[in-house]
Amino acid sequence: MDDDNSNALRRMSTRTRKVAPKMAAALGSSDNRSQAALARLEALENDNAGIEARSKGTKRKTRQAKALENARKAPRSFLELLHEANLESLPPHVPSYLRAAVGPPSSTSRRHFCSVCGFSAKYTCVTCGMRFCSCRCQNIHNDTRCMKFVA
Amino acid sequence: MSNVVVLDNGGGFIKAGQGGERNPAVVIPNCLYRPLTSKKFLHPTATFSSSPDDLTSAAIRRPIDRGYLINPDLQRDIWSHLFTSLLHVTPSSSSLLLTEPLFSLPSIQRSTDELVFEDFGFSSLVVADSPSLVHLYETSCRPCGLVSEAQCSLVVDCGFSFTQAAPVFQNITLNYGVKRIDLGGKALTNYLKELVSYRAINVMDETLLMDDVKEKLCFVSLDVERDLQFARKHGKDNLFRCTYVLPDGVTHTKGYVKDPEAAKRHLALTDGTSPSEAIETKNETDQLGVMDKTAERKRVDLTKNEFDLTNERFLVPEMIFQPADLGMNEAGLAECIVRAVNACHPYLHPVLYQSIILTGGSTLFPRFVERLEKDLRPLVPDDYQVNITTQEDPILGVWRGGSLLASSPDYELMRVTKAEYEELGSARCRRRFFR
Repeated sequence: MDDDNSNALRRMSTRTRKVAPKMAAALGSSDNRSQAALARLEALENDNAGIEARSKGTKRKTRQAKALENARKAPRSFLELLHEANLESLPPHVPSYLRAAVGPPSSTSRRHFCSVCGFSAKYTCVTCGMRFCSCRCQNIHNDTRCMKFVA
Repeated sequence: MSNVVVLDNGGGFIKAGQGGERNPAVVIPNCLYRPLTSKKFLHPTATFSSSPDDLTSAAIRRPIDRGYLINPDLQRDIWSHLFTSLLHVTPSSSSLLLTEPLFSLPSIQRSTDELVFEDFGFSSLVVADSPSLVHLYETSCRPCGLVSEAQCSLVVDCGFSFTQAAPVFQNITLNYGVKRIDLGGKALTNYLKELVSYRAINVMDETLLMDDVKEKLCFVSLDVERDLQFARKHGKDNLFRCTYVLPDGVTHTKGYVKDPEAAKRHLALTDGTSPSEAIETKNETDQLGVMDKTAERKRVDLTKNEFDLTNERFLVPEMIFQPADLGMNEAGLAECIVRAVNACHPYLHPVLYQSIILTGGSTLFPRFVERLEKDLRPLVPDDYQVNITTQEDPILGVWRGGSLLASSPDYELMRVTKAEYEELGSARCRRRFFR
């Protein structure tokens, strides 16, 4: 982008310069978006998305009840068990759960669908990176679930 | 010989019955559920779609996560209900054939063994993996087919928890060739739930309802770009628009598809037809349906909770074919199959491509096979033929294989008895299953 200054007559988009410092940091690390994407994928394996929070803590527990609960083997998630099994330490020729994963796709081209209406999306939200297809969808997106760097 | 209980312990459904029979005696969801009217978690008596109870906003607890048993206490609950009140077997005098996903972790295997031998006290146990059972069943179905003559096949299992392609050779799964996509029926349901909740009505609590929606309305698109164009149309030109009516809790406790005929209209679009032809066929159906349509439009009342689905119907199953669209760094199903085959010996490649067996509940989407063939063909070398076989009942395929294994003479040799388990422990016994 630096060599643009040589041609002063040419009109260029000034968008890159107007980027908020917070966003520049996020884009640089690409951590927030990938973290948000990971969290979203994790949510796809969830059993009760809305209910989990409600079922907890309706009654105040006594100390004894808490101790009993801790003593009972709490079910652990599969990822915890996987981490515990330490499969990374196996030599590379041993087939394991981790090595059976299919791996990244060969072509990097990814189709983008509008996060609002589902049709193919041309534009990216500059604040959060989700896709939208039209001005109308952009407005809906901004009003409803633009994440605005919550992480 | 004592009787054998065959138990296909899937993440979505438990399929259980006596070995040697054709169909499992019991097929129940592998979970406990708590409807709004109850304080306790209840055992499902049958599949949810056929039970008469009000299942609105039911909470669900599942013992299995990503295909692996992570909550043995919950599983013990479900199994004891299954064995005592549904199957009526006495574990101490019977043997158990249990399916377990490949690459199970040692800690999970140990807790499974404890469950089988110590909590229930089965006299003996055989652990089998599902691809080899599917292979066994297919070879017995077609004794003269290629699968049984070459003794090898590629089993593609699109289940509830994950999707995997596993090469099987002489009844043994080649575990170095197994490739897995971490997407299954559960993820698809949750994705649909997310889409509908954002676009129409909040259904984040209604897992069971959305399961039903997915099964009734979703289909696999043969040409996504083209279908997206069609889905954009307004009014009755839109072949894909379909309305699902939510239960109101008074007159009906089950949701239903408002116009089942309209829901099937997408089948008129075949791969070969150009858009103009498709519109012609559509016009015919429209003329038939004009009278109904006007009557129906009057019938719409706002007291009913309902939502429309258009592109969601095919974009949801599309995830299995291109997980990258969702942001997952994983290859699609066709590429998964190619990688599974390439991991095997080159001599096996042509035979594996010719004997692909599809199983698992997620393959029941209409047009699944056609789409897979369309995606797979360009990736496979020209000289090789691609032949995809479907099972007549993909959900029960694994169980039927298990039933065959239980009645075969080899079964006696494979099993680990309770005495051996007590003497040697879990890890040593497991070696007998080649796992």
